[in-house]
Amino acid sequence: MTAEPLLSVSHLSLRIQDHTILKDISLEVQAGEVVGLIGPNGSGKTTLFNVLSGFLKPTKGTVCLCGEDITHLSAPLRARKGIGRVFQDFGIFRDMTLLENILVAFESLTTDERRKIGDLRSATQETLAMVQLQHFAKKKAGSLSGGQMRLLEIARTFKGNKSLLLLDEPTAGVSPKMTHQIADLIRSLRREGRTVLIIEHDLPFIAKICDRIIVLDVGEVALEGSPSEVQSSKKLKEIYFGADPTT
Amino acid sequence: MNYFLHIFIISCIYIPPILGFNLVFGRGKLLHFGQTALGLAGAYGIWASFMLFHFPFLLSLLIGAACALCMALVLTWLSLRLDNDGLGVMSIALHLAILAVVLNSDRFTRGALGIPGIPRPLLLQSLPAYALLCAMIAVCWIIFMLIIERGKLRRNLQALAENHWHAEAIGVNRRWVYTIAFLISALGALTANVIFVPYMALLSPSDYGFPAMILNVMMVVAGGPGRVWGVVCAIFLLMGLHEGLRFLSLPAEMLGPTRLLLFGTILFIAVYFRRETLFPPERKV
Repeated sequence: MTAEPLLSVSHLSLRIQDHTILKDISLEVQAGEVVGLIGPNGSGKTTLFNVLSGFLKPTKGTVCLCGEDITHLSAPLRARKGIGRVFQDFGIFRDMTLLENILVAFESLTTDERRKIGDLRSATQETLAMVQLQHFAKKKAGSLSGGQMRLLEIARTFKGNKSLLLLDEPTAGVSPKMTHQIADLIRSLRREGRTVLIIEHDLPFIAKICDRIIVLDVGEVALEGSPSEVQSSKKLKEIYFGADPTT
Repeated sequence: MNYFLHIFIISCIYIPPILGFNLVFGRGKLLHFGQTALGLAGAYGIWASFMLFHFPFLLSLLIGAACALCMALVLTWLSLRLDNDGLGVMSIALHLAILAVVLNSDRFTRGALGIPGIPRPLLLQSLPAYALLCAMIAVCWIIFMLIIERGKLRRNLQALAENHWHAEAIGVNRRWVYTIAFLISALGALTANVIFVPYMALLSPSDYGFPAMILNVMMVVAGGPGRVWGVVCAIFLLMGLHEGLRFLSLPAEMLGPTRLLLFGTILFIAVYFRRETLFPPERKV
């Protein structure tokens, strides 16, 4: 008997005006898994994240979290149910201090989650210490480098007790050193038993940290398997580079 | 001396609605011009019920509060469904629509004549007593807004202003935050009209026209959107300037246009220098 998946997406479609953006997508993510989501630009990866986090309503299909249908819940309610999201364009608030950036997230948690965290001020300091940003606590977040902003965002989501983390290109615009730090942070998420769905263009990076990779192409699931299976797949090359005319 | 006391009273009266407006417009970056409409609805709710229909004052106050709060809910609803440009246009339309209703409902509002003879409470007949009351209310509002500035509501509003998707993704409830902010704003407008109208002894629709709306915007912009002390200073300075122009030996017909020209110039300069903090563009990588 298999355990109930943490995230279950079933026959999900999204049409905006005359364009079909997502086409009959079905996928499951087990608790504690780190799953990579890759595909060429325009394949619908970020749109799928927008649907999963409640910013877009699907035309058809359902999204279930821990067996509960959350298809019609708003984004803040989904966040309270345990879906955390890291945005491609840095989801931090640049005119607020680092402390406030974390505080605003902690204050939006449910009462139970806040109780688990304990004292919000000290939890905020701990979160900053986790990513070695405690010395900048009272600085505006806009003064950080791209990599530091990304670390702050992931740490904030991580400490917020989210069961499912959606990371949208976490290494975009980040130095190689910071990329290693982000990879370490994702590994520690896995050790904590968190579930991560991650969009990334850096295939070696994603192969190193993921248990499974799902490939999207023109709004459909085109391929799914372990990192080695996907990397050696001929279909992956076709998706990215087109079919080989000599074969 | 009495004239300075008058300027002081008027400035203090402006503090609750302008700080309320500053919370929504300055801190929340919601481009709405409906603050005057909130005051208009509240003022007519109270004083038409009290003076024209002879309801008890407390009941009239409740009617006024209900009118202002309903208006606040309409503005909240618009803010959740429209982008800033749409909200700006719709809030102006809402204000003008309510003003048109007030001006044309002679039976309920006495139209353009307004409602005269509104009495002051017995204990507040003298100017110093009224000044003391207004100062106490203004101080309470400043303290209230400073508490908000240090709290969750301000952080949520600021986060939503920077990027509402990012804020909602961490669980900030936009609907709830905007509702609270607009209700506080309406409460400020209501407070001002409870003390302003008896002070003037007249409820006149001309006090709630387009120039009043521009004055509201100017006070927030000149003081620095979102800054409590900045806006308080701007209220005193601009009210001083507004009333101080009377001391210039200008012909009566020139006073109004001169005031508009001067305020227009101040607004232009303030918006030019504060264009980034007023409505900063959404930031991307």
